[in-house]
Amino acid sequence: MRAILPAIPIRLEKRTDRTPRWVLAATPAGAFLFAFVVVTIVLLAGGHDPLQTYSAMLQASVASPSAISQTLVSATPLLLTGLAAAVAFRMGIWNIGGEGQLYIGAVCASGVALAIGAHGIGLALPAMILAAMIGGALWAAIPGLLRAYLNASEILTSLMLNYVAGLLLDWLINDSNSYWRDTSGISAYLVAHGKTIPGAADWPVIGSGSFTVPFGFLVGLVLAALLFVVVRHTWLGYQLRVTADNPGVGRYAGMASKRNFVIVMLLSGAVAAIAGASQVGDFTHILDPTGLQSPQYGYTGIVVAALGRYNPLAVVISALLLGAITNAGINVQSATFPQSLTGVIEGVILFCVLGSEILSRYRVRVGWEKVAVAA
Amino acid sequence: MTKRFPGVVANDKVDFEVLSGEVHALLGENGSGKTTLCKMLTGMYQPTAGHIEVDGEPVVLHSPGDAHRHGIFMVHQHFSLVERLTVAENVMLGWSSDGSRIRFNRRRAEQEVARLAEQYEMPVQADRTIAALSIGERQRVEILKAVCRGARVLILDEPTTVLTPQEAERLFASMRRLAKAGNSVIFISHKLHEVLAVSDRVSVLRRGVTTGTVELGDHAASVDRKDLARMMVGREIELGRRRRVTRAQPAASAGLEIKELVVHNDLGVLAVDGVTLDVAAGEVLGIAGVAGNGQREFAEAIAGVRPRTRGEVSVGGTEIRSGRPLAALAAGMAFVPEDRMGMGLASGIDVAENMVLKSFRTGAFSRGPLIRRGRVVDNASSLLEGYQLRGGPASLVGQLSGGNAQKVLLARELASKPRALVIAAPTRGLDVGVTETVRRLIAEAADAGTAVVMISEDLDEVLDLADRIAVMSGGRITGIVEAQGADVEEIGLLMMGQVRAA
Amino acid sequence: MNRGLVIQLIATGVFYGTPMAIAALGELLAERSGVLNLGVEGMMLMGAVVAFWVSRNVSGPNGLILILAVLAAAAAAALVSLIHAFMTITLRANQVVSGLALTIFAGATGLSSYVGDLANLGGSPGHHIMNPINVFGLKNLPILGPIIFDQPALVYVSWVIAVGIFWYVNKTRPGLHLRAVGENPQAADAMGLSVTRCRYTHVLTGGALAGVGGSFYTLVISSEWTDGITSGAGWIALALVILAFWRPAGVLAGAYLFGVVSALGSNLSARGVALPPEVFSALPYVLTIVVLAVVAGGWGRGRFGAPAALGVPYARDGG
Repeated sequence: MRAILPAIPIRLEKRTDRTPRWVLAATPAGAFLFAFVVVTIVLLAGGHDPLQTYSAMLQASVASPSAISQTLVSATPLLLTGLAAAVAFRMGIWNIGGEGQLYIGAVCASGVALAIGAHGIGLALPAMILAAMIGGALWAAIPGLLRAYLNASEILTSLMLNYVAGLLLDWLINDSNSYWRDTSGISAYLVAHGKTIPGAADWPVIGSGSFTVPFGFLVGLVLAALLFVVVRHTWLGYQLRVTADNPGVGRYAGMASKRNFVIVMLLSGAVAAIAGASQVGDFTHILDPTGLQSPQYGYTGIVVAALGRYNPLAVVISALLLGAITNAGINVQSATFPQSLTGVIEGVILFCVLGSEILSRYRVRVGWEKVAVAA
Repeated sequence: MTKRFPGVVANDKVDFEVLSGEVHALLGENGSGKTTLCKMLTGMYQPTAGHIEVDGEPVVLHSPGDAHRHGIFMVHQHFSLVERLTVAENVMLGWSSDGSRIRFNRRRAEQEVARLAEQYEMPVQADRTIAALSIGERQRVEILKAVCRGARVLILDEPTTVLTPQEAERLFASMRRLAKAGNSVIFISHKLHEVLAVSDRVSVLRRGVTTGTVELGDHAASVDRKDLARMMVGREIELGRRRRVTRAQPAASAGLEIKELVVHNDLGVLAVDGVTLDVAAGEVLGIAGVAGNGQREFAEAIAGVRPRTRGEVSVGGTEIRSGRPLAALAAGMAFVPEDRMGMGLASGIDVAENMVLKSFRTGAFSRGPLIRRGRVVDNASSLLEGYQLRGGPASLVGQLSGGNAQKVLLARELASKPRALVIAAPTRGLDVGVTETVRRLIAEAADAGTAVVMISEDLDEVLDLADRIAVMSGGRITGIVEAQGADVEEIGLLMMGQVRAA
Repeated sequence: MNRGLVIQLIATGVFYGTPMAIAALGELLAERSGVLNLGVEGMMLMGAVVAFWVSRNVSGPNGLILILAVLAAAAAAALVSLIHAFMTITLRANQVVSGLALTIFAGATGLSSYVGDLANLGGSPGHHIMNPINVFGLKNLPILGPIIFDQPALVYVSWVIAVGIFWYVNKTRPGLHLRAVGENPQAADAMGLSVTRCRYTHVLTGGALAGVGGSFYTLVISSEWTDGITSGAGWIALALVILAFWRPAGVLAGAYLFGVVSALGSNLSARGVALPPEVFSALPYVLTIVVLAVVAGGWGRGRFGAPAALGVPYARDGG
């Protein structure tokens, strides 16, 4: 045997059989464990006491009814943008425009609320959601149509449109006398801000005492179930899965793949836009460019979707998880847990889960294949 | 040498020896381990046991680069060429004539490659991009690449499937020239007559084992084709006799009619140029010709998958609108495309759902917007049983073997009892067993009254199965001959684009 | 508008375009090898924070510290890009998701900000700043003087990088290999070239250049550190690569155009022109969308389109 080998590589062998169930179950668990270890190391390296940090996180996120309510507040936009990303990515459509679609949803919903909010929640709530969905869908239709009919990569076009949408927000509130901007008093000119929507258009809060659930979160739960059924059990979902797997087969079987592509973009855009409507209706009650842009709900939604492996039901769980981390970042905000750790933790978890996914498709072998050489 | 994959032994103690200066043919049906053997020889895989020797020295090949250093090169069926680079740049990839590792001078490279092309009598234009070359020219670039790098062992994997008989002759001449210069050429083929025409020795692989090596030399004529074939499949197969002898009488009912069909390809280039054909119910019309002469576009256009530029197609007297697969389906059209996994089947979806690819809209499998999963599974189970297919309805199509995948595809297409069937490359890449099954199914479909258009590059197959043979070249039908007593020489000329005198 | 103002605008455009150009040149290398890295913004921020840390905490002669700061920025960003390289090349993870994760991980609410917090970098200025160099004393030359001969060193470095990359891609063997790997990794592999090594090298180099681009913000433009100081330049860099049809000269031209246009926006509004500044800011993005639409289909694809294997993980077994 000759033992002198060049560097020992990591080799991946494609599984020829079906992935065993235990592997499917064990990989995400292992990934989270690994992420936990990495985060602990990061904390130690940063001079934090990991135990203290973790307990502060738990305190802030799950330890009491009000903490859980806070987590749900953070999870609401992530659930909706996560679902938007999941439904598109599951179909092999890389809509990373959830961010911009959310802004457009907020613009439409707040516009409608300002116009008819005073007529009461019964009218305002469905109108806000509907307007947001239409706006988000139309915004998403741009990359959808460009891809379907001109073959322009939707990854890049939808990404670019996020910035255009963000600039639209800035212009509406900061650099114009738009319908959305508060132009009533002197203070409004000192610090530009949006008009507050009529109180009658505020979305209801469900729950009692210190435990409350934002209405938008319930909308997200219903949507998760609906999208799950659509993907698994309907014509549309079937066609989309076939086309996602192989566009040629879709064409062969007479499926209108271009139309389906646009439909998925519309659907994804509409769902992301509800997140924007929820921000206005549930939480801020005004159109706030900074408040909408700085948390990057749209991009984080893609992380949420990837963590849930693009399965709408699993997205609920990953949205809650990232909601808890985000919430800890917002509410602990101290030397124990600087907000900047949220990005680090989210990133580490996603990298670990992403990296572990390969285990379900490949066997990992370290070292060369055994080579016998006659001496 | 032995190579084991999880659960399979692909090569079991294969002994294989190539001498310098010979053309050594490697025969064997698909799945017999040829590919695995070649991948080990070229360093893509490492043997589980056993070893490779070059010039009597044991060598370990970890990568194609290692193999190249030992002078072993392979020309795959799918060329390893970078389309947007020029011929010269492709030849110079990872190799330089002057040993320079940093500088790359395009003009010098072009001159150098032009000189080499002339030296080896393989004319190509060095400054053109690969995308602008014909298949034959691309193959020459591939061989040139290997020869420049000092190939002493050249493996050609089914090199003639994409060539006209005349181009193939030219290739054989190059192969002999290379061997004469002291190199070894390993020639992998399914086609016995080619093997007999060009090789010095033949080795046969079956189920991962070498079953024998035969010296051809000057006694080529004395070697019995049947012997070789028996070594390949382990049983007698009938050669050179028509399998389908009972030719159905052309029925009175209309089959498939194609009038003045004109089709453009994806790049907007004319691919099919005014084809008119009538296929009677119960008839098999074979379309012979070298791949890339419009067959693909032709098949897709009649099946409604590709829009027609002009012309009419009707099935059973019903005219089909252009580019409407669903309209074609409704009229009774079935289509088995050449690219099974790229078009006919979705590999990431299970067998059951693939089986209803064309029928999921019907009431049998859906209720309102919902799909009835139970019925979908039942349908698949009964088809699997009917066609004696292994694997359950829930297994992914991507995990099926090529043969089983083709059977799933045929099962689905034939289940609707179509009036017309368009089938392209029906047995390409399949082993002899499945090939026979597929051919039987085609014959049975025709006997049951289906008008069959069978497009195949395998002339033997077309001769075997078709009632009439239409030869396609440059998007036109250059001639139609009766299969019975057809003259192969003449078909070859028609394939070259020579139009048959009326 | 007078001539002095135009020259002033162009000089400003070159100045502000430079960090985006450097980062875009890096992304160009990664994409030419077939790896899309959407984490440019995160990598730039890592470069920015580390460069600033050096400028604040290391003492020594001005020139040396600045060089050290730029190199440290390059190293830090390359290290971050290593995560993306490992994820997408070795583990074959989805490039879009991994790249976005990188931006979240390292970006404005991630590692770069965490490092800033830990090292207490906010609020006070750095000790070293890169000033314009009066090259050959030609600063006062008419027209060209302010544009070409009165810029900070990194501007000149970016020109060297651009020319170097052009030469590398088109006139060298490793450059030829790079093109082959980005177009058809199977073919490159079959010719004995290591796809993995090529992709790692270029993703890491791309990361390093993003870091250098990021350092421009804390060493040249501003002398303070704030979270998210690059404010979206990384995304513009991604747009630039497309606008430039994956060619280095186009990257420079595009970056300067955007620099000029954004400078023009604030100039015009200061002069009471009614066009809102957002219109100018949106221009790079809208232009990119238009270019993508034009280049993606038909005739443009072969000549100006993306590398054919961009975004596709490579595995020998085709998986």
